[in-house]
Amino acid sequence: MSSVVLSNIGKSFGSLEVMKGVDLTVEAGEFCVFVGPSGCGKSTLLRMISGLETSSAGQIFIDGKEVTGVEPSARGIAMVFQSYALYPHLTVRENIGFGLSLARRPKAEIEEKVKQTADILQLSHLLDRKPKALSGGQRQRVAIGRAIIRNPKVFLFDEPLSNLDASLRSQMRFELTELHAKLGATMIYVTHDQVEAMTMADKIVVLNGGRIEQIGAPMTLYNHPATPFVAGFIGSPKMNLFEGEIAEREGCRTYGIRPEHIVLSTMQGKWQGVVKHIERLGADTILHLDVSGLPSLVVRTDGDRPIAVGKMLFASPVAGKEHSYV
Amino acid sequence: MTRRQLYTGVTALAASAVIFILPFLFIFITAAKTKQDAARLTFTLPAEWRLWDNLMEVVEARNYMLLLAYFNSTVITVASVALLVLFGAMVGYVLQRRSSAWNKLIYACVLAGLMIPPAVVPTIWVLQSLGLFKTISGMILIQIAYGLAFSILLFRSFIATIPRDLDEAAIIDGAKPLQIFFRVILPLLKPVTVTVIVVQSIAIFNDFTNPLYYLPGRENVTVQLTLYNFQSQFQTQFNLLFMNILLVTIPPLIVFIFFNRQIVAGMTAGAVKG
Repeated sequence: MSSVVLSNIGKSFGSLEVMKGVDLTVEAGEFCVFVGPSGCGKSTLLRMISGLETSSAGQIFIDGKEVTGVEPSARGIAMVFQSYALYPHLTVRENIGFGLSLARRPKAEIEEKVKQTADILQLSHLLDRKPKALSGGQRQRVAIGRAIIRNPKVFLFDEPLSNLDASLRSQMRFELTELHAKLGATMIYVTHDQVEAMTMADKIVVLNGGRIEQIGAPMTLYNHPATPFVAGFIGSPKMNLFEGEIAEREGCRTYGIRPEHIVLSTMQGKWQGVVKHIERLGADTILHLDVSGLPSLVVRTDGDRPIAVGKMLFASPVAGKEHSYV
Repeated sequence: MTRRQLYTGVTALAASAVIFILPFLFIFITAAKTKQDAARLTFTLPAEWRLWDNLMEVVEARNYMLLLAYFNSTVITVASVALLVLFGAMVGYVLQRRSSAWNKLIYACVLAGLMIPPAVVPTIWVLQSLGLFKTISGMILIQIAYGLAFSILLFRSFIATIPRDLDEAAIIDGAKPLQIFFRVILPLLKPVTVTVIVVQSIAIFNDFTNPLYYLPGRENVTVQLTLYNFQSQFQTQFNLLFMNILLVTIPPLIVFIFFNRQIVAGMTAGAVKG
């Protein structure tokens, strides 16, 4: 278990500065998730930690030692790629043992370690197959196996679940969380999916435009988003954020209320609106209300509430759940 | 299959038979004739089948020159194709993966290698000053120089289809640049490597002019040059000449028949991504 410390990390491509002054500490054994929209620099940051990308400024420490200019293989990290990056011409066994065979370890030792790793990931029966004969989830596990066998100080995951279908993704989320508990290793995980971030992380780092917006535990980010960006990014459906006249009336520049923190009534309420669109999800129903003076108000309500498009409703925020940003 | 498709198919097959098989048949039957019979150059069956006699006569001609020629040609072909694959893949890999200011210049040089016709006399002069004129190794270097540009282009476009993630995964696994190339990239280049091997080995094995210019001397003879054994200003032994042609054609034909599927696969791979 090792900590990762980033100190004033910057990255520029020519004159374009994509990352500026990033300071971050990932504690030993922590599951840290970098989340943010496309192009926010989360993958670049991960690649700088791995050493595949050089940083233009700042220092990186792994386990207390500075690794800023050190080769990727000497940093004690392992990485799982979005595309899995399995070697197509090698069998699962050779894929997992590739790093050890490069290091010219004895055959018996490689065989032993591959077997152990395959047991952890339930890959033992697939060892002689080539990657193209595996399903998406199995390929994913082989990629993770290739990381585990290195016994790294830090695991790096670059959007590892984005190529899987929804049900497999939720299963792999569970498996990864279990693996983290079993290995107790430090893991850094990049995703653009806030559901993955919320469900897996000990600590979430929200990135936007090359800088850190907020760092915190999932529920801290949900309950106390520090900026309107974090407020809009964490939570699904996203928070209603209003600027202009409505916000001014509340005494702030941006006013926010989550769809689940709005109560509906047919009698009275703060806002009066007409139901414009209904999304039935089963357990929940998402309503889009047309309120005069507001762009659109999204409300989450019970799954079986009998509502029809065109109906007039009153909506009020739950006291204490409102967010305002000056 | 509709009637129309059937007719066009049969017509196309008949046309290609006329173009490809008839000449070969002509070579074969002439190679089986007697000297007088062959001199008439008619498309008739031989009056007397002398296939084996002609074969032995060609092989034994000028103190078994054909066997020496096969040996020389094989050495030249194998060595130059092996080095062409190695250098072509290496240059293509670096050119595709590493973006530097030199890339454009290197690429221009590669294209120039395809476009600019080689000049014979200056090349001989360079070979002489290097002490490589009339040597097999000099001939090998020439074949590599002539074939490299095409091989680099083929390899480069194929390498573009191999995801960079694989290189990076290998880097993280602790591979050095040469290990990445030999253990990850080169094995994945198999389809295009087969193409390069087949195309270049046939071209080099069948090369007549370059050995004629750069490799004079009895002991340096290559298979294509043995055709001169039976051809002179005043007399040509057509039966033996055609038997010689037949023998020279066989090795490339075998290579082509075995690999013809992979050649097409390698040629088109890399043309469309994904």
